Amino acid sequence: MARVVLAAALAVHAAGVVLAAFGEIKARATVAQQGAVVLAAAWAGQLAALILFGISASAVPLRSGPEYLFVLGWLVLTLHLVLWFRMRVKATALVLPPVAGAMMLAAYLLSVGAPRATALDTRGWFVFHTAIATAGVAALAVSFAMSVLFLVKEHALKSKRSLRVLERLPALEALDRLGFQSLLYGFPLLTLGIVTGMAYSAAEHDRVLIWGVKEVFPLIAWVVFAGILWARLASGTRGKQSAILAIAGFAFALLTFVGMVR
Amino acid sequence: MLTLLGMNHRSASLDLRERACFAEADVPEALARARAATGASEALILATCNRVEILTRTADGSALGRELRDFLAKERGLDPALIDRHAYVHEGLNAVRHVFAVACGLDSMILGEPQILGQLKRAYALARESGSTGPVLDRLAQHALSTAKRVRTSTGISRHAVSVAYAAAHLARTIFDDLHGRSVLLLGAGKMTELTARHLASHGVTDLTVTNRTYARAETLAEALGGHAIPWDAFARELTRVDIVVTGTAAMDPVLTKEHVRTALRGRRGRPLFIVDVAVPRDVEPAVHDLPGVYLYDVDDLQEAADAGLEERRRAAAKARQMIEVEVVGFDRWRQSVELAPTIAALYEHLHRVGRGEIARYGRRLGSLSPEQREIVLDLTRAVIQKVLHTPVVSLKAAAERGEAGSRAALYREIFGVGAADPAEEPGMDTGPTHAISGGKDD
Repeated sequence: MARVVLAAALAVHAAGVVLAAFGEIKARATVAQQGAVVLAAAWAGQLAALILFGISASAVPLRSGPEYLFVLGWLVLTLHLVLWFRMRVKATALVLPPVAGAMMLAAYLLSVGAPRATALDTRGWFVFHTAIATAGVAALAVSFAMSVLFLVKEHALKSKRSLRVLERLPALEALDRLGFQSLLYGFPLLTLGIVTGMAYSAAEHDRVLIWGVKEVFPLIAWVVFAGILWARLASGTRGKQSAILAIAGFAFALLTFVGMVR
Repeated sequence: MLTLLGMNHRSASLDLRERACFAEADVPEALARARAATGASEALILATCNRVEILTRTADGSALGRELRDFLAKERGLDPALIDRHAYVHEGLNAVRHVFAVACGLDSMILGEPQILGQLKRAYALARESGSTGPVLDRLAQHALSTAKRVRTSTGISRHAVSVAYAAAHLARTIFDDLHGRSVLLLGAGKMTELTARHLASHGVTDLTVTNRTYARAETLAEALGGHAIPWDAFARELTRVDIVVTGTAAMDPVLTKEHVRTALRGRRGRPLFIVDVAVPRDVEPAVHDLPGVYLYDVDDLQEAADAGLEERRRAAAKARQMIEVEVVGFDRWRQSVELAPTIAALYEHLHRVGRGEIARYGRRLGSLSPEQREIVLDLTRAVIQKVLHTPVVSLKAAAERGEAGSRAALYREIFGVGAADPAEEPGMDTGPTHAISGGKDD
């Protein structure tokens, strides 16, 4: 049942992605609004699927890599809808809904909700660790989206050709500021996620695992984000370099899943 | 019938427009005189630097082109033949379409400029306060204003820059979220620098620093712009602080080099720097644009942006005209439905009169009725009238939706033997005197 609901919600999500992107690229406000509403409907469907997964498993649906990926995608969509409806930041429609959709589709294809032989721990504090880390990566996804848009806008300004792009995207400084703010939320959550993960690993295995795939990539991501923050706070470094690093950091954070879904 | 007589920047010279123009203080009295002279029931005058337009509405359906021409000639001491040559007259739906187009800035000198919306709003307020508007012009003005706002939002017609100076301010806004509180350094005190600075100031920039090789000229411009002047050799220090640099000197060689800017970047903590070079020959070394976080736009770049902006506005204007057509049809339907109101009222009045007559005629045969019995008879008559008229009224409203109100209303008047329609003075359709038979429950 939950998988049927999820499949339907993903189909709606796909329609929302197309509408929202079309509305944004063609500057059709009504179409963009319709896209946002369709995405909100998909969000509700995905939430229903999430609840159904939880009920059928009698546990928080953060038991496996696919479930983690699904919750992450859903949180990314949540943040996009908050940005769209509350903060009127609409350009993320070009980045966040497709990213969220890809995450949830991958989760679906990797049999989200199915009982797994190698199910992860479902005890409270492990769930706390995964939930914190997921929320952190979701916030970093916003930073990633802002960085992508920043690079597109910066390129348009430097090339002096894509005047339409200049008009459609938020101001360069606004993209930089929103990206940095999301980093300020995401980085502490990622740090807490890594620390709780290490503590869990120490308690379960009597030693801190570092060189596994799902341990090393979050650490690399943490170093990258720490570098961005340090450069920003110490010498004000921002702009293209920070944006490229934020994109790389998010990619490393995502690679954690390679370790989780294997 | 609506009639509009006007002159704009295309039809009349500035000299003639000036002579035909009304001062704002004179408009209320001019409106009263216009109504008295032409017999219009409603009137509105829109007088801006680019247009003078008088819009009137008559209750009897007659057009007032000639009367308005004579009024304007007399009022402003102009030769009527001159007005005939340089004025345009729009009647009925063409007048509605024109008002909508004006409100949207489609008839403006700078396509899509937004100031006209405020001017129309002010003209409407003056007309309303002086009692010169009625249901039709009220509705038309409000409809035009709301349509213009919607057109601006959905087509973005006024967003696109159409001049070099505007393009500079526009580009600044694509880099900086908000220009309020931003700082600008002006190198040179020429006309283009001043114009660009004024555009930036109109977007909220307040911190203006001016420098020029001749310090006195810098001081003069700084005073005119509300900024402050600095000596020419101190400008390099300012590069570390300001957000925007506008250069427009008469120098033959670049005055702002890559080295100047590279040095300044060290102290800027990554803040972006927007440089507008409006000088020919250029004041800034083109290689400055290659520095990280520095965006250099010269006159050609800005002209290209302005040309593209004008093209975008033209595209938006085509969309706006389609939207206006839909609104004109909507307005026409409303107008037709309003015109039905007197017919519907007359039908109710007629049948109630018949009802009253029949009750009086049958009164003697019915004998003395108790108050309750009398009330029942009155209720019954009212109910019959309501039921008889229900279908015709619904059908009339449907005809109005299809744009056939006039012919259908005339047919119903003929069938029911009701006199010619009085012109609509009150909006709304459900104004039939359903309580015309007195003595019912409400009495």
